Amino acid sequence: MKAYIKHTFLTASLAALVTTGFAQKLDRTKLPADAPAPVIQLANPESFTLANGLRVFVVQNNKLPRVAFNLLLDYEPILEGEKAGYVSIAGDLLKTGTKTRTKDQIDEAVDFIGATLSTSPTGIYAASLKKHTNQLLELMADVLLNPNFTQAELDKLKKQNISAIASRKDNPNAIASLVSNAVMYGKNHPYGETATEETVNKVTLEDARTFYNTYFRPNIGYLAVVGDITPAEARTLVEKYFSKWQRGDVPKPTYTMPKAPEKTKIVLVDRPSAAQSVIAVVSPAELKPGAPDAIRSSLMNDILGGGATARLFMNLREKRGYTYGANSSLTSDRLIGRFRAGASVRTAVTDSAVAELMNELRAIREGKPSEEELKRTKNIFSGNYVFSLENPQTIANYAIRTAQYGLPADYYANYLKNVEKVTDAEIQQMAQKFIDPSRVYIVVVGKGSEIADKLKRFGDVEYYDTQGNKVNAPAPAKAAPVGMNAQQVIDKYIAAIGGKEALAKVNDITVTLTTEVQGQAMEMVRKTMSPNKSSMVVNAMGMEVVKIISDGTKVSMMQMGQGRTLEGKEARQITLTSGTFPELRMAQNGVKATLAGTEKVNGKDAYKVVYTTDEGITWTDFFDSESGLRVQQITTQPGPQGEMQVPVSFSDYKEVNGIRFPHTIQQSMGPMQLTLNVKKIEVNKGLKDAEFEIRQ
Amino acid sequence: MRKLVLCVALSQCLLWSAGAQTPKTTSKAAPRPSATASSQTQGRIKFTEYDLPNGLHVILHQDNSTPLVAVTVMYHVGSKNEKPGRSGFAHFFEHLMFEGSENIKRGQYMKTVEGAGGQLNANTSNDRTFYYEVMPSNKLELGLYLESERMLHAKIDETGVNTQREVVKEERRQRYENQPYGSFFPEVLKRAYKVHPYKWAPIGSMEDLNAAKIEEFRDFYKEFYVPNNAILSIAGDINIEQTRQLIEKYFAEIPKGTKPIYRPNVKEPESKQEVRDVVYDNITLPGVFQAYHMPAQGTPDYYALNVLTTLLADGESSRLNKEIVDKQQKALQTSVFPLALEDPGLFITIGIANMGTKAEELEAAINAEMERVKKELVSDREFQKVKNQIESDFVTRNARAAGIAENLANYRMYFGDANLINTELERYNKVTKEDLRRVANKYLTKENRVVLYYLPKSMEPKKAAESKGE
Repeated sequence: MKAYIKHTFLTASLAALVTTGFAQKLDRTKLPADAPAPVIQLANPESFTLANGLRVFVVQNNKLPRVAFNLLLDYEPILEGEKAGYVSIAGDLLKTGTKTRTKDQIDEAVDFIGATLSTSPTGIYAASLKKHTNQLLELMADVLLNPNFTQAELDKLKKQNISAIASRKDNPNAIASLVSNAVMYGKNHPYGETATEETVNKVTLEDARTFYNTYFRPNIGYLAVVGDITPAEARTLVEKYFSKWQRGDVPKPTYTMPKAPEKTKIVLVDRPSAAQSVIAVVSPAELKPGAPDAIRSSLMNDILGGGATARLFMNLREKRGYTYGANSSLTSDRLIGRFRAGASVRTAVTDSAVAELMNELRAIREGKPSEEELKRTKNIFSGNYVFSLENPQTIANYAIRTAQYGLPADYYANYLKNVEKVTDAEIQQMAQKFIDPSRVYIVVVGKGSEIADKLKRFGDVEYYDTQGNKVNAPAPAKAAPVGMNAQQVIDKYIAAIGGKEALAKVNDITVTLTTEVQGQAMEMVRKTMSPNKSSMVVNAMGMEVVKIISDGTKVSMMQMGQGRTLEGKEARQITLTSGTFPELRMAQNGVKATLAGTEKVNGKDAYKVVYTTDEGITWTDFFDSESGLRVQQITTQPGPQGEMQVPVSFSDYKEVNGIRFPHTIQQSMGPMQLTLNVKKIEVNKGLKDAEFEIRQ
Repeated sequence: MRKLVLCVALSQCLLWSAGAQTPKTTSKAAPRPSATASSQTQGRIKFTEYDLPNGLHVILHQDNSTPLVAVTVMYHVGSKNEKPGRSGFAHFFEHLMFEGSENIKRGQYMKTVEGAGGQLNANTSNDRTFYYEVMPSNKLELGLYLESERMLHAKIDETGVNTQREVVKEERRQRYENQPYGSFFPEVLKRAYKVHPYKWAPIGSMEDLNAAKIEEFRDFYKEFYVPNNAILSIAGDINIEQTRQLIEKYFAEIPKGTKPIYRPNVKEPESKQEVRDVVYDNITLPGVFQAYHMPAQGTPDYYALNVLTTLLADGESSRLNKEIVDKQQKALQTSVFPLALEDPGLFITIGIANMGTKAEELEAAINAEMERVKKELVSDREFQKVKNQIESDFVTRNARAAGIAENLANYRMYFGDANLINTELERYNKVTKEDLRRVANKYLTKENRVVLYYLPKSMEPKKAAESKGE
């Protein structure tokens, strides 16, 4: 049938009119053969350099009447230290005002020409229809050359960043990535450090200005001009708008080169409430962009864990059903690259999943890939390469990378040829070079008490907190000390906070707490009255957001003026842990307390007391074994994905009216970690029953 | 981040697709007219179109700048064509169509495309179902073979139906039940429409799918998956004549459908009273969804409402964003999208409240902006801004071959004129400032809308939980 296609125009046109009866019967059982592979002609962008050192690349492409300007600043990664986060904030600040335009004016002017304008710490992207090119460049140059950083906009950004950091603490994937970086690169390395609430709070306008003045310099810049524009037009415009930009000396710091660990280590981040374990097997990889190994090692990685037909996916998901997805990546980088293989798996199969991951890492080193695997992966590479060229920006990016990393001029032109050349033996060599299962970090974020022991067979287990700091191993739950029981622990607690007698004199307590949620200040007032009445009101932006009242038997929960009343078991779950000092009344409430052993809480030994009732309500308290004070409570609450364990931590005990109260309370709320600080505690104000009445 | 997640959640509700979305990138390449094209058009995007004797409509756009080709087939069947009691069929078919054919074994369809270095996907709307493969251009014939197998003799058996029932259940869970605000689309539709089949969303009902017999699936296939109900639209690095030959080779033998195609002719009665309701969901921040009945796509008022959409919600300086998100800080995010459909659709506004803002306050703020459009004429400067934004969006829409193929098919299917890909902007440009005020007064009225609050489950009154359901 192939020859049929090559007939003359006349025959071909006639053939189109012919009905099927005349055509030779098509054999549909066979896949059609490929036409000859297309020849890919990679356009060579025009390039020139301004007197100030700005290197410009122009890719003319008239398909759409649009032009895009992409400025990239190429500097060594910055170690931000105690102000980590300032670089990213400075990048966002750029678009919030210039010497002559407010944020509102910039927003309006960009929309007026239907354009896009975005800024980041490493550059600016601007695009519009060709006919608006002048206005677009006017705005881009103004944002680039005349920024005006203001305190108000900085404060807004700091709040947003702090909210994002807070939400990260409950995101196991974010934790895994942060901790992987901390162990692989060290916290004193630009890739290993992380912004925290503390470091973001330290960021000043001056930091942002200094960053801008140091790094926004033309001599480290690449400008890609792509679209419906001739190189001559581009040159005129770029000279007009960017010639005034002043050169500057940009620092070139050097960093110590991170090394793979001497032997494989388990890095465990304990999340007692986790239902899944996030596993990341990581190690640094000495792989520079465009290095001779870059293409073949990339093929190797894709055979291992590139996509839904790769080995990790086929084994961990398709064959064993441990996970929704498993994959690997091998990235090149000017400082230091990285290998990572991982999956999120349910807690019970954590060690089996690690074993399978490690088996696959060994297998790819120990044998050559099959012909089919190599062929398929090469085809996927060619497809992706071709598809990427549909975006003319790609051509500019290739030219810039070629200049940036000193690659051979024909590196990208020969890319597919070099993909095709890779042999099965080379794949194995690459695996042996970049993957060494005897020298990796196995980072696991999950429920330590269930997985730690089982992970020991892969290497020494070290514990880290969610910020990537090494912490002591929580002593595995020890048996209860001989002669100790739950009542003694509770009695010790009562004695530690002031003694039975003092507590008995307390009829009511009013605690005022403050916190911040997504940059919004919130105030909470919690009132309790003997024996078991309580209420809590949350105020934000001058409004009552949440109001919970417990009259001792029923609980009413109101949110934004709407709500419901809990009764029976649901209500008891709350009333049993509320009231002035519920610990005094456990026996009379029918609560059974059992001493379940000793565990580490925040690195210190604590007695674990489990409470249960006949109705099946259960919760757990942890009491510091030394001071006797309660340090944590874990309750079970319904959540979007079924029941979840909600841990609340208590610290900073201070005396008020002869009784010690915790003054810092930390609690997880959905994806957020809340820190509540006590503003005021009032004892025996003379609260009335009426305050705890539930009105339907 | 949250903004992004929400946008994705919302956009996923509109189209139900079998796999992951492919990332959007822009592209440009010089058009090259074909010397042998049977019909030529003026404008930037040139194309050829013709019919096969079996009724298959073919549209070809040649652009040899990148060696890739998008092979797409659009079937004129969506959830609108489903019979009451059999909702979800159209979308279910989209899944079934990846199960294989007489010559393609189960599971091989995707593997064949991916092994050839290609990408594929499909999606279903209320009006149509769309399949596409993007391949290196030397695999054009493979793409045509695969699509022709699907049209000629797709595999419809118990195994496939049972497998895909489970997959659709997971999809439903993942996109609709497990996404914050994910259910808004079906929830809005079922309140907005009383008689028109738009009252159910493409995802349909699991009960209907469970109740369906294998014969019903086969009948559905015979009725709708026929060449005379489809557009084969191809864009990319092709030679027009060779492509015509290949299309002849693979598609000419597919018989024309013999059954009448069910196209419901139902007119939704005018809405006389506002519908208000509350949905309790696994969310923290209240959401306010308003849906106003609007005319079918292609009508002059539809264009005016589209321009109004840009004024209200396109860009940082748009009215809802500047006023409610930036200045009043009552919303985390606001958006407007006109649900453009073959029959009269909906003009939907969305606001997600900021921490500490009540749904009522947010709704009041959105309504205030609507009232402003009804009372005041837009200034010349702002009107020009909106026109400029529309022009820019219109041009950018055709950056990729896959997008061009889909747009050509859409214009042909809905308007009978594929060349609108070049000229539709003129219709937007006819809209005047007075039109904006007029359509706001005509359509954005209380009586004409559904207002749906999304509130956290914790705020749900106890009894309501039991009466909730589809």
